[in-house]
Amino acid sequence: MALEKEVKKSQLPFSKEIMTQLGGETVTFCYQCGTCASSCPVAKITEKFNPREVIKQSLLGEKEETLSGDAIWLCCSCYNCQERCPQKVEIADVIYALRNMSIRRGNIPNIYAEFAAGLMSEGRIVPISKFLEKKRPEFGLPPLKSTGIDSLRKILSTTGFDAIWQKGEEES
Amino acid sequence: MEEIKVGVFLSDCGNQLPKILDFDALMSYVKQVSGVSLVARANEHWRGQGLKTIVDTIKKGKINRVVVAQGLPKLGEVNVVKAVEEAGLNPYLVEVIDLKDHCAWPHRDTPSEATEKAKAMLLAAIERAKLLEPIEKLEFPTLKSVLVIGGGIAGMQAAEDLADLGFQVHLIEKAPFLGGLAARASRFFPTDDCAICIQSPASDVKTITHTSRKCVYRSGFSEIPNLSILTNSRVVNAEGIPGNYRITIEKKPRYVNELKCVGCDLCTTVCPVEVPDEHNAKLKKRKAIYMNVPNVYPPVYVIDESACKFYDCAKCVEVCPTEAIELDQKSERMTLNVGSVIIATGFQEYDPSVIKEYHYGDFPNVITNLELARMIDGFGPTNGEVIKPSDRKPAKQIVMIQCVGSRDRRWNPWCSSICCMISLKHAMLIKSADPDADVTVCYIDIRTTGREHEYYYERAREMGIKFVKGRPTEVVHDPEVNMLIVDVEDQISRKFLELEADLVVLAPAMVPAEGTKELAQILGIELDEDGFFKEYNAKLRPTETKLRGIFLCGGATFPKDAPTTSLHAHSAAVKAAKFLTTGKIVKDQRTAFVNEEYCGDCEFCPVTCPYGAISLVPKDEEHFVAQISDLLCEGCGVCVGTCPVNAIELRHTRPNQILAQMNALMSVNGTSKPLILAICCSECGHAAVDSCGMAMMQYPANIRVMKVPCTGILQVHQFLEAFKAGAEGVMVVGCKSDGCHYEVGSLKAQKKVELAKVLLKEYGLEPERLEMFNMVYIEGNEFAETAQMMTERLERLGPLRLMGSS
Repeated sequence: MALEKEVKKSQLPFSKEIMTQLGGETVTFCYQCGTCASSCPVAKITEKFNPREVIKQSLLGEKEETLSGDAIWLCCSCYNCQERCPQKVEIADVIYALRNMSIRRGNIPNIYAEFAAGLMSEGRIVPISKFLEKKRPEFGLPPLKSTGIDSLRKILSTTGFDAIWQKGEEES
Repeated sequence: MEEIKVGVFLSDCGNQLPKILDFDALMSYVKQVSGVSLVARANEHWRGQGLKTIVDTIKKGKINRVVVAQGLPKLGEVNVVKAVEEAGLNPYLVEVIDLKDHCAWPHRDTPSEATEKAKAMLLAAIERAKLLEPIEKLEFPTLKSVLVIGGGIAGMQAAEDLADLGFQVHLIEKAPFLGGLAARASRFFPTDDCAICIQSPASDVKTITHTSRKCVYRSGFSEIPNLSILTNSRVVNAEGIPGNYRITIEKKPRYVNELKCVGCDLCTTVCPVEVPDEHNAKLKKRKAIYMNVPNVYPPVYVIDESACKFYDCAKCVEVCPTEAIELDQKSERMTLNVGSVIIATGFQEYDPSVIKEYHYGDFPNVITNLELARMIDGFGPTNGEVIKPSDRKPAKQIVMIQCVGSRDRRWNPWCSSICCMISLKHAMLIKSADPDADVTVCYIDIRTTGREHEYYYERAREMGIKFVKGRPTEVVHDPEVNMLIVDVEDQISRKFLELEADLVVLAPAMVPAEGTKELAQILGIELDEDGFFKEYNAKLRPTETKLRGIFLCGGATFPKDAPTTSLHAHSAAVKAAKFLTTGKIVKDQRTAFVNEEYCGDCEFCPVTCPYGAISLVPKDEEHFVAQISDLLCEGCGVCVGTCPVNAIELRHTRPNQILAQMNALMSVNGTSKPLILAICCSECGHAAVDSCGMAMMQYPANIRVMKVPCTGILQVHQFLEAFKAGAEGVMVVGCKSDGCHYEVGSLKAQKKVELAKVLLKEYGLEPERLEMFNMVYIEGNEFAETAQMMTERLERLGPLRLMGSS
């Protein structure tokens, strides 16, 4: 009778660890056909990002390089790759999982830190200036509604978002 | 009733066993057991003098039940049983146990404990032997005829083999002509020879030599004695039992009398109807009356009833010089009585239009491998020239895309296994006809695993065919240059390429042939998860189905190349011949039977039986009873374990035999450890115990092994009986759930163990006293470890205390 051993998430091989994350479940389906790479609009303009290579790196267990590198932040989430992947790897979602893992290590690129700060203070990712608000009627847009910042803060605190963000702030 | 006289024969293995077991004590113990009339001892009892002793005592009438303690699991038993039968005693009155591998060897460190266990084992064997009943041999007649379904290379090969062996063979083909997929493939890899070339039939007396091979149409295939061919036909119904099937065939009208048509071609010249030619990938048109290519069998025209105007035109009728055209023909149904059926229905190319990004069906210059094969064929629609369908000009820049709809979890997850070689073949044929042609193959992995296949790939590279490692994301049309663009990443150079092409060739998945599902339903056989016909066991029983008498070959089970198809067809033919050759099935009545008095109306057993051996038949106006076919029953006992009212028994493992064995095994302990009954199935479970002992792995002697045909026979109350008999723990050892010899037995046992655990808890007993394990032969070490673990567990739990006792 084989006894199932309790393994902590952090002791898992990197690819298995990714599989425990929301969105990362399908990472091991990948057989490196490259459909994602040729589907990717970002990969065509910069050598810094290639979805196939991000997955390959993950499967090879190169955790440090994957989570500290720039590549995972360059995906534009168009989901082209995911749509066409013959192995049903949820590539864009895997990349989100990797981003989440990276952020939990305190590695938050500036732009995301700004998004988070805006979310915490105003309830919006993009700050709205007085000028913009005045402009809205000119385009026939209704005035912005309140963001319900109190409820939002409650959610962000219950889900642990603020703690993760705080950690990132301290380290940067 | 005849007096029961048990003879007990102990093998001491060249005096090796007495070093551990006290043989004198065993002999005198056995002598005093009631019913034992003879005890003998020899080096070995499975051959030579020892076996002769058994045979002689039987012949002299001294004994009528035989217990043999002999090493050599199974091998010893087979020989003893055979000799006993020859001596005139029913072979089912023999009980063979293994004191070496089940007792002396694994308990060599504790000789006195081992001796006590040996006594229990002998007593159990004697008690069971006393209750054994003779089992008779049954005979079922079989017909010496075979139906082969599918006239491709697999079906033709199997049909030829069987007809040459003297069986009456009916070959049916749903299309109007023989040849199947091979006839459209034109050439085969890796030799590039004609696809329709077959081994010449032995009946071709004038030209046959050992090396002789011929095109289908020149082979005289149709003239093989004992072979009848029906084209335009399909199976619509099947009835009967293995060896005696009644198959109903529907033959669609050909509208041309096969006996009169001389193939003169006058009809096609006058026929005014033109339709796209399916056989030739719609790259040319054909008339409503047609032949696929000039060299077909039967060499007779056929009328396409969806296109023909019949009596509104009838020009062909007027012009036919032999009055062969019969527009009044109707569908015919006929019944064939055959002993066996071979399914050779093949596979087909998947329609890749579902993969929108490759635009098959939108862009005329995106074609499939099979369509390209038709172009390359000299008899094909372009007389061997590779063209762009859009303007029919020669194609110069060709891009091939592999794995289209195969290795794809969205459509067909399997690797179709032959497409890499097909594309290599096409690439090289194009390149050798036109060295200026630019051919690029986009691949994920090139799979060239067969004999000489890798050399084929080497040759392709030498010829200048380009390979890009990457699966293209899409094919687009560039109106400016009027070319197709294939968008792909070459992983090796890490470059994104936009390959210009005037012809894109897709290598689609190979999927089960149309009508596979319906045929499986009619014949009552299983498909695998991918929709192909399921081989009973790809390693041990290839080309067989679960139903005796129905066999499979060729691409019907999975896409195959021609050599593998050929092998497979020969295999199926031999299997069918072996099955039918004696004209009867001889089978022991080692089967289950129903006590009709108890059986009543539930439908558990017919549903549970893995072999479809049980049917419900009316008992009276209101009630049904289960009826078990002795022909189909495999004697596993899963129905016995399922029956809620104990109405079913196995003839060779009756409940009283099981109980007597249990009681005997628990009668002596001799160790200070808690007694554990290990109920093992006769297949993997028992084999694990054998291998454990043979390798001299040690486990404690409190483990007592009892064999049942399959753990699926066990009922919940039997676990309780084991505890009542004195066991403090019960281990059930069966095959792995996906490797159970009787398919579902091991799983059923697992469920019953779980249920029994619940009951034990209700009764105030620790459920951990009962446990199910799954092992195979090579896991003897696991049996030893498990036995040790269970012993320690039960020592920890302490003695068994029933509810209310203190």
